[in-house]
Amino acid sequence: MFSYNLHLAIKSLKDKPSLTFLTVLAIALGLGLYTTVATMSYQGSQVPLAHKSKNIFLVQMDSREITADPVEHQARLVDTTYKDTINLMAMNLSGVKQTFNWSTYGILNVEDENITPLRTTAAVTSSNFFTMFEPPFLYGNGWDKKVEDSGEAVIVISKLMNDKLFGGENSVGKTVRINTHVLKVIGVLDTWNLTRKFYDRSYRSASPDNFFIPYTFAMENNLPRRAGFDCWAANADIARSFRNENLDRLMNSECAWVTFWAEIPDEQIENYNQQLVNYIDSQKSLGRFPRETLTFLTNLNDQLLFINGRNQFIKVFSMLATLFFAVCILNAVSILLAKFMRRTKEVSLRRALGAKKKTIIAQHVIEVMIIGIIGGVVGIVISYFGLQGMMNIQIYASDYTTRLEDIEPLFQLNLVMIGKAFATGTVCTLIASIYPIWRICNVPPASQLKAQ
Amino acid sequence: MDIKPIFLSMKKNKFMAILMIVQIAFTMGVLSSSVLVATATLSEWNKASGIPHEDIIRISPEFFDETQDVGQALVKDLDRVRSVPNVVSIAPSNAVPFTAENMINVYLTNAEDAQEYKTVVVETDENIFDVLQLSLIEGRQFTASDVIKGSTETTPQNAPEVMISQEMARILFDDQSAIGQTIWLAKNADPVKVMGIYSNFMTGERLNGRGKSYQSIIRPQVKWSQNQEPHYLIRVEQGTGTALLEDILDVFYQEQGRYINSSELLKRTQKRMYDGRGSRALTMLVISVVLLVITGFGMTGLTAFQVTQKRKQIGTRRALGAKKSDIMRYFLTENSILTLIGLLIGVLVTFAITFEASEQAGQNFLNVGVILATALVMWLINILAVWFPAKRAANIEPAIVTRSA
Repeated sequence: MFSYNLHLAIKSLKDKPSLTFLTVLAIALGLGLYTTVATMSYQGSQVPLAHKSKNIFLVQMDSREITADPVEHQARLVDTTYKDTINLMAMNLSGVKQTFNWSTYGILNVEDENITPLRTTAAVTSSNFFTMFEPPFLYGNGWDKKVEDSGEAVIVISKLMNDKLFGGENSVGKTVRINTHVLKVIGVLDTWNLTRKFYDRSYRSASPDNFFIPYTFAMENNLPRRAGFDCWAANADIARSFRNENLDRLMNSECAWVTFWAEIPDEQIENYNQQLVNYIDSQKSLGRFPRETLTFLTNLNDQLLFINGRNQFIKVFSMLATLFFAVCILNAVSILLAKFMRRTKEVSLRRALGAKKKTIIAQHVIEVMIIGIIGGVVGIVISYFGLQGMMNIQIYASDYTTRLEDIEPLFQLNLVMIGKAFATGTVCTLIASIYPIWRICNVPPASQLKAQ
Repeated sequence: MDIKPIFLSMKKNKFMAILMIVQIAFTMGVLSSSVLVATATLSEWNKASGIPHEDIIRISPEFFDETQDVGQALVKDLDRVRSVPNVVSIAPSNAVPFTAENMINVYLTNAEDAQEYKTVVVETDENIFDVLQLSLIEGRQFTASDVIKGSTETTPQNAPEVMISQEMARILFDDQSAIGQTIWLAKNADPVKVMGIYSNFMTGERLNGRGKSYQSIIRPQVKWSQNQEPHYLIRVEQGTGTALLEDILDVFYQEQGRYINSSELLKRTQKRMYDGRGSRALTMLVISVVLLVITGFGMTGLTAFQVTQKRKQIGTRRALGAKKSDIMRYFLTENSILTLIGLLIGVLVTFAITFEASEQAGQNFLNVGVILATALVMWLINILAVWFPAKRAANIEPAIVTRSA
């Protein structure tokens, strides 16, 4: 019986190919757009370092002066002062790792005059950065605590820099210059696809740093600090100058500008927070932390949740894509209805000859399933091209300053999305066909036979 | 035209009518929302630049070697570039059109609660008028003797007089004359006098996004420090820009320890300024068109189906003397009624979506004109979609009736 129904279904699909084509087209286009947007939103909301993101915490303490405004949300609270950064780093809790960073920039160049220098952004950080955030190394390694404390001029560069400055070969041991400072390369990173650059709290996608240097070196040589300085009133007037000058004043100031991170195992979280509170209490006796004690430990999952909640373009776009899909399904309903009702005569004849309602339903469900499956497959193909298109639009929109490698993961279909798309396609097609099938299987037997 | 039979027929075939209405309502909702978002995104898009941006090159150099003398390099740069063939004029400037993002507030009084007016201040020399081809609207245009030049360390003083753009003058002083008026470029700063008004030019996205594209101030001073060298704006003979870019870069690389951050025709700077919004809006519009096509096909399908169902009635009407045009008119009227109802509901859907979207984006997307235009386009597309099946219906022969039992 199944094969007979299948045969009838295929015959019917071939009968009016233009109608079949229209149905498939409507479903495929709707699904294609929907999957495109869903994939972008899915990939964009991927949490970096997923295997340990719930244990990586941004550490914030309210070190502002008494007159400051109340904090509405963790994201609005200031970062950490340099003084507190150094003090917290001295804290020793078993299983807890800590690091911190800020941004700098510089012109990276080599002795070889044939290679044009590059102006690029960089992270200034501590040795734990590499063990906590696990960037993949192509050659060499990060620096260790000893190298850091000695203030040695070492640098970790990105694959992009290594390709430009050294033609891609192992450059460990060679030297590069940031502006006029000479530094020794001790590590070269491989392509690091962080879905979001979380560690500087920019949460930007596809904008990797191109070199990493120890904070000790950066402070000693007064490399520029690309940070916002949240200062007490006493220093507010010179806050901007801290980017390049007044280093001593900055180090002893109440200006918050360092992003501080901790990796804390589950069982230590409470303890860690207690230590923070204790630390603040001890500082209060020195006249610091004049406000009510307030600390935030926010893990990566929660931060990403907040950031993604604010991506308006994708939200509006998702809403429109969903509605677009709904319109396409409505369309499929009307086309299916038109297609099925053309067959009233044939169905009434079959019913008169003894075919059961069930048989008629089965035949049409098979037909609809075939349409749904084809629609699903074509829809996935369309979404592939849709994603490629959106990716190229983004590259164009950035005036070709973002590189394909960096944004490609954000526009990648994966098995989860394909499976979802396929299921959505078939299920929605089935739902769309409920009414048309109900109509056709209720055609009274022999009703149409009297004509002609 | 008697519409009673149409309603009777709809009543008999309620689901079809409802399906059509829902489909039109939904399409209208989605279509007009995406067009609304697109037009809102495109507002203030590709506005007149006010300058010959195809023939202006911008160069943004920077010294990474601290032993170099920026002041000397600046003098040499200017001389060297001027001697390049086809270069018409060059001016150093702290801001570049289309990316002048350093927005500040300007005030008309020094009072604590003085009203803020947004603007950008361009610090440059007397050649800027030739480079950007700005014309003098009123007052006096400054000359070389008005320009204060020096490094920030040795030259703390600032120019006491400024020029403002035509738009700035209108915003600040309305129809009074701006010449000789006093303004404050920061609270508690020394006031400056307005000496002249020049023609508008596009500043950058930050002001443009606020609908204040042309509010600018030019201050006759050129200052530099070790880590801040001015940009250079260079106007070249018409059409020679692309070819000259390399030659001019070579001139700047003659200085040691220097890095060129950016070198391009202002045409490209302009493109970059609008790109993000433009491509988003375009995506929305392409999706809208696809949606319109799909709905069109859906309508054709539905009407074709109804025509098939009503063959006999049509034949009967024709046999009883109805003209072909009557049959056509029947289907077109029926469709128009359904479309109208659908569009009305669709407008409500639009309001709902737009309200939600505006809420989320913090930007008001609502625009009644756009909604009306979308409704009109949808109606036309629907007529087109129904036209062909209706035509087929009109061609049904009256004799068909006689064939039935």
